[in-house]
Amino acid sequence: MNELKRLGIVTGYEFLKHIRRKRVYVILLLVLVTEAAVLAGFPALMGGYPESVNLMATLLSIGPTMAVIGAIFFSGDAIAGEFENKTGFMLFTNPVKRTTLVLGKYIAGCLAVAILTVVAYIVVCVSLLVIYQTIPVETAQSFGLCMLYGACIVAVTFFFSAVSKGAMGATVMTLVLIMVISGVVESVLMLAGQPYWFLISTAGDSITMVYGGIELMLAEFVPLEEMGNFPFELESPDIGRSVLAMVIYLVVGLNSSLIITNRRQLS
Amino acid sequence: MNEPIVIENLTKYYNSFLALDNVSLTIEGNENVGFLGPNGAGKSTTLKILCGLIRATSGKAYIKGFNIATQKEKALSQIGTIIETPEFYGFLTPKETLNYFGRLRGMSGNNLNKRITEVINLVSLEQWLNVKIEKFSRGMKQRLALAQALLHDPPILILDEPALGLDPRAVIEFRQIIVETGKDKVVFFASHQLSEVAQICQHVAIIDHGRLLGYDSIEALEQKYNSLENAYLQLTGVPIE
Repeated sequence: MNELKRLGIVTGYEFLKHIRRKRVYVILLLVLVTEAAVLAGFPALMGGYPESVNLMATLLSIGPTMAVIGAIFFSGDAIAGEFENKTGFMLFTNPVKRTTLVLGKYIAGCLAVAILTVVAYIVVCVSLLVIYQTIPVETAQSFGLCMLYGACIVAVTFFFSAVSKGAMGATVMTLVLIMVISGVVESVLMLAGQPYWFLISTAGDSITMVYGGIELMLAEFVPLEEMGNFPFELESPDIGRSVLAMVIYLVVGLNSSLIITNRRQLS
Repeated sequence: MNEPIVIENLTKYYNSFLALDNVSLTIEGNENVGFLGPNGAGKSTTLKILCGLIRATSGKAYIKGFNIATQKEKALSQIGTIIETPEFYGFLTPKETLNYFGRLRGMSGNNLNKRITEVINLVSLEQWLNVKIEKFSRGMKQRLALAQALLHDPPILILDEPALGLDPRAVIEFRQIIVETGKDKVVFFASHQLSEVAQICQHVAIIDHGRLLGYDSIEALEQKYNSLENAYLQLTGVPIE
């Protein structure tokens, strides 16, 4: 029996785990509630939907982004859980390479986040069709970037899951890195006028930036005369560099988790 | 090297704590070997190294000639194990769990289904076959652990106090299953219970403070020390009144 076949078996059962647990459904519910809040909240607060379909698509992209961030909650225990819950005593004594086990778990995690992302984009597309009778062509690009961001987030979560004693620690560390540290460093570098495209949060921003970037948002919400008053230069991240950053996080995160898990002892 | 289990100069440090001190042991032929020693003696550490769960600081261990450090998958394909208190994925049923582990070991189709039925019947979990394991008691998980250890009919069983925490009836049932299934297998069996080991095994290895103190047949030890209990107490340094 070759490792590829074993990889398929591991992926199947790990995916079954995601389907059977409540976490994916809770995240799906949050995604749908967020999209509903945007769809109901914007016209209620602003007196109608924005004229620009791209701006509405940008606002609705919070749903898919939330789906990807939600992946942290169901990926955090993928490796750490085997050690914390001692299920590894059963799993790791099977004649399967740990690399195969981790890759199977990774693919299953990516499949779960992909399903959430697809559902979120269906909501985006249907909403835009109903409101504007059109879907911006950039939505396909945003979808592709969101899928890549999902794979990148799962890989980074796997890294923390491999180094953590517990699933909670892995989840919290990943969230702090992406939501706090990366965001703070991004702000500091932005204020200092230094490049920040390599930050994971900036790379994730590319999901919405394909629709027109910061300029589109400013044009809708900030009066033209105030546009020049910012103390720093606002710049939409370059999509190509964002893709490069996400690929680097994915490769480094996944490879690190493989190396660490292979070396980690279950004592 | 075709011996079922060969341990050569195995040493294991946990940071500065010496858990195994140059342990060597060879199990030849189809014999059941009890692995005796007080808490913290090094029993579980030895078994975990044999199962590839931890690495030895130095020394080598072989399962059917396969080096556990360099040919881990081949070595693991030869053994069925119960290490520590077994835990399973709560979202799966016993049938799904055994299906998963069986498929990982290359079993499939009717053969796998037939074997699942056999081992589930053996551990008396028939009525729980399709119930999620999250509802299981500790004893039921122990039974399922034994079922998964026997599922692929391995030539070697490595068991770390498999009956720990079971009620007396379950302990007796467990012992009978291990005796029956162990007739044509090698069973390397760590336990605190001398009487249990005496009923299951023909040989015992006694370990304390990470050092192998003795390895012989129960018969020889009883002749030399009057009883297995005396052998254990004298070798582990407990004064006998």
